[in-house]
Amino acid sequence: MSDQNPLHNDDPRLEQAAATDESLIRAHDKASAGAPDLHAAYRLLPLALLFIFSGLIFYGGTYLNRYSAHFSGEVFDERQLPGGEVQVAQVDPIALGKRQYTLACVTCHMPNGQGLPTVYPSLVDSEWVNGSEERLIRIVLHGLKGPVTVKGETFNAAAMPAFGQVPTSGYNWSDERIAAVLTYIRQEWGNEAAPIETATVAAIRSQIPARTEWSEAELLAIP
Amino acid sequence: MTTFSSPASAEVSEIDRSARWPLAFLIFASLGWLVASGVLALLNTLQILNPAFLADCEWLTFGRLQAIQESAFLYGWAVNAALAVGLWILVRLSAAPLRGGNFVAVGAVFWSLGLLLGLVGIATGHMSSFALFQLPAYIQPLMLAAFAAMAAPGVLAWTGRRERATFASQWYIVAALFLFPWAFSVAQVMLLFAPVRGVLQPIIATWYGQNFLSLFLGPVAVAALYYLLPKIKGQVLPAYDFAPYGFWALLIFSSWMGGRHLIGGPVPVWLPTVAIAAASMALIHHIVIGLNLRSLFAPGASLVLKFAAAGFAAYLLAGLVDAVFSMRGVALITHFTYFEQAQLQLFLAAFSLIIFAAIYYLGPRLLGVAWPSTTLIRAHFLASLIGFPVLVLVLALAGWRQGLELLDAEISLRAIAAHTRPWLQVAAAAQALLLFGNLTLFAHFARLLCAQRSGESLAQFRQPQALEATAS
Amino acid sequence: MKNSAVFFLGLFAVFALSWAGVVLGTHGQLGELAPHFDEMEEKAFPLRQSGLAARGQQVFQDLGCIACHTQQVRRPDYGSDKARGWGERQSVARDYIYQARPLLGSNRAGPDLANYGARAAEKEMTEADMLVELYNGGDERPPHRFLFELRKIVGEPSPKALHGVAPEGYELVPTERAENLIAYLLSLKQTYQFAEARPYEGDGETEGGAE
Repeated sequence: MSDQNPLHNDDPRLEQAAATDESLIRAHDKASAGAPDLHAAYRLLPLALLFIFSGLIFYGGTYLNRYSAHFSGEVFDERQLPGGEVQVAQVDPIALGKRQYTLACVTCHMPNGQGLPTVYPSLVDSEWVNGSEERLIRIVLHGLKGPVTVKGETFNAAAMPAFGQVPTSGYNWSDERIAAVLTYIRQEWGNEAAPIETATVAAIRSQIPARTEWSEAELLAIP
Repeated sequence: MTTFSSPASAEVSEIDRSARWPLAFLIFASLGWLVASGVLALLNTLQILNPAFLADCEWLTFGRLQAIQESAFLYGWAVNAALAVGLWILVRLSAAPLRGGNFVAVGAVFWSLGLLLGLVGIATGHMSSFALFQLPAYIQPLMLAAFAAMAAPGVLAWTGRRERATFASQWYIVAALFLFPWAFSVAQVMLLFAPVRGVLQPIIATWYGQNFLSLFLGPVAVAALYYLLPKIKGQVLPAYDFAPYGFWALLIFSSWMGGRHLIGGPVPVWLPTVAIAAASMALIHHIVIGLNLRSLFAPGASLVLKFAAAGFAAYLLAGLVDAVFSMRGVALITHFTYFEQAQLQLFLAAFSLIIFAAIYYLGPRLLGVAWPSTTLIRAHFLASLIGFPVLVLVLALAGWRQGLELLDAEISLRAIAAHTRPWLQVAAAAQALLLFGNLTLFAHFARLLCAQRSGESLAQFRQPQALEATAS
Repeated sequence: MKNSAVFFLGLFAVFALSWAGVVLGTHGQLGELAPHFDEMEEKAFPLRQSGLAARGQQVFQDLGCIACHTQQVRRPDYGSDKARGWGERQSVARDYIYQARPLLGSNRAGPDLANYGARAAEKEMTEADMLVELYNGGDERPPHRFLFELRKIVGEPSPKALHGVAPEGYELVPTERAENLIAYLLSLKQTYQFAEARPYEGDGETEGGAE
């Protein structure tokens, strides 16, 4: 091949252009208006494309609608919807109660709930623990002072402090915690009484004006 | 309509001369980075095969070397090459000499210099840990400024174009030049200089990464295809009246696709869901460009078009794979495995092949002289045509197996690594082959730079005909 | 598209949409996330990182550990994360609010580390055990010898020195970076509960996408 003439079309060293830039733009600008529809015929291509595009958008939209969890910022599982249930963390009352028990109660009533003979009453099988909710809640809320009889044994100088959110309390446990610890002691060590609801504790606490510790006689007057 | 003066209609003209040295430097730098990143990629794969390899060199731990390799490839090869090709096409289509060529040259020097400093920064422990955005904070503003300097002449070429009508290539390139700095600066501010809280960082990082790939690298490659095909074949693209839909579909949907990298992760679930839906809807773009550019698959004897066709096939496949393998049921297997790297490699292979085609086409025009050797071009084509598919395929297969085995808690990670090792050995071989191919291009371009320009060499360019508008 | 102004306006609008949706939208949802006060433990979770752990996180980050380790647990019925002992529950956004740079990662060549501290405590691994592992490497993990200093024993040997690795008359002492890294790894725990992380209790039919 001669260097004076253009290289052959298919020579890889120099790809020859077949169109000028100017005509490239103009021809395509003309084409972008679409081919003139001289025969007033339906053109298949636009219809087919319209069909495919609609399908893709329909699919995308459906997927989006189903798995977007209403665009909530708090849902991390695509099957879930936001706010269906009340999203309050559930605390196991037994676990919470056990924790509260080991924090405070254990010093007197002992890890096995047996207390100390003549000084601290036992909680196991106790008629106070397994009996009236009303009395039990009041004891923990406001405390208990003076002699008390448990399982036939008399303790002369009971001095249980107030645990509830009441004046003079050094503990200020929330109603939830009190309900939890009571539920715990009522179902541990073989005790099998019904659990105590937070609402019951709250109701009792709100009914009673500020007061000092209960005595046994006062409590026995309550059903 | 403007009538052209005679030099503007010549195949190598004042227009090319105005862009010659800035763009030649850009291409030379990009090819240098390509070769460097090829070497690093090979070393990095050897580290997977033998974890103790280079382990005592703190500068090149596996993680750091991976970040260095990725940054060298993306910011060294891909950005430089994309800018060179994009600017050249914009200038050609504007039919006016490049304005502000000095800005390109200065920007290119500082971009490469900044990148070099950034890579040393990663080696000494300042990587950002965000995929596709690994460069240290202190170098990023310089990169942004350098990019702006290089992109501004592109915008000037758009606003100063002689024809009022525009061509698809121009839309894609202008969009790329306009959107990348936006995403880049948002990422810099919100990730590095005033970092947002908690998982917002990975969210923004994936958003940036997606935009970088599909709204910067992707569009430049597509623009090159739109330009090369009618230029070489001399035919008006079929169904060209749909091209704007393809363009806007890419812009609207692809920028939402980043969340697919966070499927099952600690981000609000709507984000991956939007990404999965967007990946499917982005196929509109692929369908349209598939229609427009379908005659690429009959490339004839043209080696440029063969490169372009291979890249185009990879590009379409990458779009399809992104749509299919981001569905939750499949992502369950492919997420966190080599398969995701295969997806990235497939996209980058598409980009690279198309840009190679563009470089082979524009090189002689830019420098006014034909490539010195046919053999080198053929060798590069062969290496690429074997290397890329093998690399992507073995990574995909290794990743698929890895993903299936990860689902079974009875199979230890050690056993999984042992099972993927043979595949990765093949991957290393493919990387070596690609490195060889890219070296030939680098050497070839260096020879082209040194080749003598003369009236004789210019006489080798044939005067093109005007393109006849034909019904599509 | 002959009109530049309209063209640019379109570009701007389209990109602003995704920017507003992805970047600003999630910022509005997650930018103000507060820790959750756990009644049981009487602590607010997630815990704040200790100073050592925060410095250790930088070591983890600058060595590029993220290349092989994720720090995100997927929900129990999506993947084998729970079965592999990587975490009991799905990681959620709130877990990461105190991390200067959340390192979620994208590759699981190595195990997930979101609960590494909890696992180490369960296996009763001591800091010394972990340092030896770090020094030697293991399975597919490369050794990290550069995080240790081999030095001549002068006077009393260091109490931190690793046992049975250094030659006679020398001791192998972890650098401060190694100790910080271990402190960081030990701090990685997502063992507390958040309401939004609880597993989905669907009606069993809508298993779509999970299987």
